[in-house]
Amino acid sequence: MRRRRLPAEIIYTAVSLVKGLIVTGINFWRKKVTLLYPEQRWNLPEGYRGMPVMPVDSKTGRDKCIACGACMRICPEQIITVEHEVGEDKKRKLTAFSIDVSRCMFCGLCTEVCPTGGLVPSELYELSSLSRDEMKYGLDELHKLGGFHPEEPEQEPESDEEEG
Amino acid sequence: MNSEILLIVGKMVLVAAVILGFILFAVLYIIWGLRRVMGFIQSRIGPNRVGPQGIFQTIADALKLLQKEDVIPEGADRWLFTLAPIIVFVPAYLVYVVMPFGDGLVAEDLNIGIVYVSAITSIAVIGIIVAGWASNNKWSLLGAFRAAAQLVAYEVPMVLAICVPVLFAGSLSLQQIVMAQKGYTFGFIPRWFIFSGWGLPAIASVIYLGAGLAEINHTPFDIMEAESELVAGFNVEYSGMKFAFFFLEEFAASFTISAIAVTLFLGGWQPPLPFLGAQLTGFAHTIVSLFWFLVKSGAVVLVLMWIRGTWPRVRVDQLMNFGWKVMIPAGLFTLLAAGTVVAVWG
Repeated sequence: MRRRRLPAEIIYTAVSLVKGLIVTGINFWRKKVTLLYPEQRWNLPEGYRGMPVMPVDSKTGRDKCIACGACMRICPEQIITVEHEVGEDKKRKLTAFSIDVSRCMFCGLCTEVCPTGGLVPSELYELSSLSRDEMKYGLDELHKLGGFHPEEPEQEPESDEEEG
Repeated sequence: MNSEILLIVGKMVLVAAVILGFILFAVLYIIWGLRRVMGFIQSRIGPNRVGPQGIFQTIADALKLLQKEDVIPEGADRWLFTLAPIIVFVPAYLVYVVMPFGDGLVAEDLNIGIVYVSAITSIAVIGIIVAGWASNNKWSLLGAFRAAAQLVAYEVPMVLAICVPVLFAGSLSLQQIVMAQKGYTFGFIPRWFIFSGWGLPAIASVIYLGAGLAEINHTPFDIMEAESELVAGFNVEYSGMKFAFFFLEEFAASFTISAIAVTLFLGGWQPPLPFLGAQLTGFAHTIVSLFWFLVKSGAVVLVLMWIRGTWPRVRVDQLMNFGWKVMIPAGLFTLLAAGTVVAVWG
């Protein structure tokens, strides 16, 4: 910036200070961007990746999990555990499944890798609890949070649009 | 004889309690207002949860500060460290003795009121230096040095600016200065000094406000607590109630500057339009005059908040240059011109 003489400098300074005051003065009256959280909620964008859940079929009440363990292997935080047993018909049968959401970073890799679409992202993001044990979700809770698969006509509002 | 003394002492205690209550009340709401105004300027909402629109937020914060542990650093000078918040607060409190809150609402109408004010307000820096020294911390000490240098540079233009309305009013008493601004030109423009005297008091008011901002270490002259350089300046080591005292002093001082500016330039407690209470007498007049004084002071405090939310902090060399090269010459010339006007037409 070229150097000004002192009087010009003073005028320039005064004008720019008033300009600044006008800018903040305008912003004072503008609509505020703050979201008053517990009363007002986000409009979640389409394809939002919340906590992974396991919807069930509304007729049979069974999930689509085939106990392949792909989600367990891909999870960067290694918080998914899948336990299975091999039945008499030589098929894998899911016996236990759990996600420790306290360490989940909602990356969505588990839902992307799921071959059957059994594990899907939900819109749940308010997951605080009073103890760490409460944040470890087992199979029953994941079923309950997941609701029903969207193909079914009589679905709950809680269920998800997107299939992994 | 004895009962007379008792009466005087009782009156003093009562006045002291009322003024202290007023300062605490005013500061509570200035802090809340500042946070709301800053929020609004930054497109936020600000504290709005504790009580309606968050007006009890500061009370909650003060209660929290009361519970805090009273930490005195190991290397600190214990006595001075404890004394400093009080030394800082007392001048901010004493100024209100001569403050003309309304017609007749003044604790003691000293005939050298404005000299008293400028003398007392500059004592606060001693408390700041004591705090900076006693903390035994380099940031504190540097902040205190800066505060002292700043005060020396800006006390002069401030007094020069104060002299202009004093010349026009012909009195040093704050109540007399307010009285001199009575009446209306053409029946509706108030004869406040800022609107009269050929614009000279208006220039003086800008100089006064600028120097006043520097005096109370307000943005843009808050270099003594520049976070990026000095962490928090002279009060780095303070916490809990002692910190609250510094906080209290800061906001009491910003109200003081606004109130003095209102008294000197904006007609004190005179209503802005004739039909807004100029004809009233007796008790109603007192109440209306108090109302207008508080409204005007609040408006100036709002301008200070606006400045605080807008302007960046100046550098130390810029501050000194501005003080000595711009403010003092401008103050001198304004005073000279005002003296000429008063001598020729006064």
